[in-house]
Amino acid sequence: MLQRTIPIAILSISGIVLVLAYFSPFTQSWGEQAVDWFNIIAGIAYILGGGNLLRVNLEKISAQRPGWAYAAITVAAFVAMLGFGLLKLGAVPSEKYPDVHFAGDYESNSAPYGWMYWNVISPLGATMFAMLAFYVASAAFRAFRAKNLESVLLLGTAFIVLLSATAAGAYLTGWIPADSAVGFMRAERLRTMITEVVQTAGMRAIGIGIAIGVVALSVRLILGIDRSYLSKDGGAA
Amino acid sequence: MSEPLLVRLGRIDRRWIFLAMALSIIVPMLLKVRFPEIPQPMARATFEAIERVPEGSRVLIAFDYDPASQGELQPMANAIVHHCASRGHKMVFMTLWPFGGPLAERTIDDILLAYHPGYKYGIDYAELGFQPGNEGVVKLMSTNIPKQFPTDKRGTPLAQVPLLADLADTTGFKLVVSISAGYPGAKEWVQYANGPAPEAFTFVSGTTGVQAAQLLPYYPAQMEGMLLAVKGAAEYETIVEEKYPPPQHPERIGDGRVRMGPQLVAHVLMIVLIVLGNLSMAAGRTRGGMR
Amino acid sequence: MNPTTPHAPKRPTYRLLWISIAVLFASVFAFRTAIAAQDPAADPASIRSSWEVLGVWVAAFLTLGIFSFLYKDNPLYKVCESLFVGTSAAYYMVNAFWTSLVPKLIAPLAPGFTKAYLLPDFIPSGEPWAALALALVPLALGVLLLCRLLPKAGWISVWTLAFIIGTTAGMRLTASIESDIMAQAAAASQPLYAVDPQTHSIDWATMLAGVVGVVGVLSVLTYFFFSVEHKGAVGATARLGIWFLMITFGASFGLTVMGRITLLSQRFEFLFKDWLGIL
Repeated sequence: MLQRTIPIAILSISGIVLVLAYFSPFTQSWGEQAVDWFNIIAGIAYILGGGNLLRVNLEKISAQRPGWAYAAITVAAFVAMLGFGLLKLGAVPSEKYPDVHFAGDYESNSAPYGWMYWNVISPLGATMFAMLAFYVASAAFRAFRAKNLESVLLLGTAFIVLLSATAAGAYLTGWIPADSAVGFMRAERLRTMITEVVQTAGMRAIGIGIAIGVVALSVRLILGIDRSYLSKDGGAA
Repeated sequence: MSEPLLVRLGRIDRRWIFLAMALSIIVPMLLKVRFPEIPQPMARATFEAIERVPEGSRVLIAFDYDPASQGELQPMANAIVHHCASRGHKMVFMTLWPFGGPLAERTIDDILLAYHPGYKYGIDYAELGFQPGNEGVVKLMSTNIPKQFPTDKRGTPLAQVPLLADLADTTGFKLVVSISAGYPGAKEWVQYANGPAPEAFTFVSGTTGVQAAQLLPYYPAQMEGMLLAVKGAAEYETIVEEKYPPPQHPERIGDGRVRMGPQLVAHVLMIVLIVLGNLSMAAGRTRGGMR
Repeated sequence: MNPTTPHAPKRPTYRLLWISIAVLFASVFAFRTAIAAQDPAADPASIRSSWEVLGVWVAAFLTLGIFSFLYKDNPLYKVCESLFVGTSAAYYMVNAFWTSLVPKLIAPLAPGFTKAYLLPDFIPSGEPWAALALALVPLALGVLLLCRLLPKAGWISVWTLAFIIGTTAGMRLTASIESDIMAQAAAASQPLYAVDPQTHSIDWATMLAGVVGVVGVLSVLTYFFFSVEHKGAVGATARLGIWFLMITFGASFGLTVMGRITLLSQRFEFLFKDWLGIL
């Protein structure tokens, strides 16, 4: 009962409350309260994530598994950032309440927390994603093969979009008169046709399909048919 | 019998490809290669959508991205903030991403207060900051903003901030802008804020190249304007700068156009790589057939 | 020596990596110092504080540390990766604490303490007992969620997970129907006959776009409908849908490439402009 019935009941009730809140103004406040609780729990979930990170890395350090030194760096960085942020160490005092330590601005560039955001987190995060450009180039060279009509269509479209997105497209097709019968062959027109007509149609159909799947899954969850979120012996009824 | 060059090329160490990609960006960047941008319909539609909003309206700008997408989205964020401020709009800033707050702060300092020093906090602009909950935040904002944000980013209750005191829900805005890198972002704004009240406010978004395809179906019925990646940002910068020239530091709304220079060379490199890869495959097949 | 004992693999020393980094940073430092000595106004760092200058150097070091992975996996990259994981996890926690937990959980539970020490501008609720009662629910669910960290009591966290999933399902059910099915079906229903309002002649471009749009949506939906075998007319329509999808994915690939290159471009801008000062 504690591990199956109550969770299923909680899920169903919360789902039904949200659906009712959408349709009836009398139940709107219930829905607002449920979503407010949801958002607070989302904040607590971040604490769970941090706690789990700490547990996993401390286990690795205590067991002296290979790479434990990197785990130590992770823990040290985590604790430092937590100290600067939670305790507001080095925060810029509030102008309005200079005597209230926790009213200070910890995100200012002058504070250690803000400094670490701009000079550690921001460059690391940006560079990690920037690396993908190199791997896209490598993958394009090794894997993108025009073996059949479909792949030719895909690559051809990619070429058109890549060229028309830059001045190269304008240079290559700029000589075509815009008002002529073949004016649609100009790079910017081709790109507009591809993105606003063909690509939109394809993505619209994909979006409708996904939405139908979301609706079906939501109904199954709320009605208690799908219980895959339960830890043991879950699955569909 | 030695292998043809094309076949050997197919086995090239990928680090040479990495080097080629790096040089294709660094060289035009150092040579300061620039190209004129001709605004296309989508960028124009975004500009016109913001222009149609009456001057001095209260607008919401959501910085739904993090430093990883700053390269693409910061140029459009800068241009949008300058455009809105030039129209005298009262701006409310927020973010759905934990890392988005400082980006909004920096935009306020570098663009809003630098270009429009008359803007005062609490009267002309305000910051709601970040709240966890992803689409739950947008859902609750669509019916009850004070419940979602009991205080502004500085810890002041909303009732004590003149710009926010009478703000009940998202229909209190005439324009909502989501500068979006993924989830949560523009899609959630369409689904949870714009969906229930489609005529209440104008909604436009700026998006990364990766997310652009996902948002295209919403344009123009549910989203009146959309800026696609750095190309859209560059076109939009051109239009905004033409009508509202920045009073100082014009380079701060020029990053999109700056980054389009290296784009050309890198795109041509991508095409060359794909063609070479296919030629190498064909050469390998031909060679195998001849044996 | 036992001839059958395999030799232990030689540990890489990464000597070349460390030397390269040391030489690079020493060169840049010398270059920047030379610029500053010749014309202090030309040095962007002259308008920055020491704190900011140190930050630029740290950011450049970390950026190059991540880029070093392109050559080969190495300890510097792993250090940067560990730093990123640790600092960003803490950032999420701190952000959630100050923006959500303090004003929405701690404030109603301890209004006096909150006003005195955390949020001086906080206005306690006019109904403190009601606010307290409402705050106890997310507090309890949150504690149950945190029990996931405990080996034996972790099962109880499924109550909170059920609440999260139920709320999400309820929100997405109505939103998907409204925005992604009904609104999209309406948007897909393009006019198949269009007349230019100014010239009163047939607007072939709009008509063609409408026809292509409708045909595209229907053919792609047909492709994804697997309950009917893709033969005959259905098969031909599904094939057309595949072609639409290929064009869609090709365009998506082009946009993705553009996005990734922009991100890389921005990192090089930082290195050449903010760090080296030559742009």
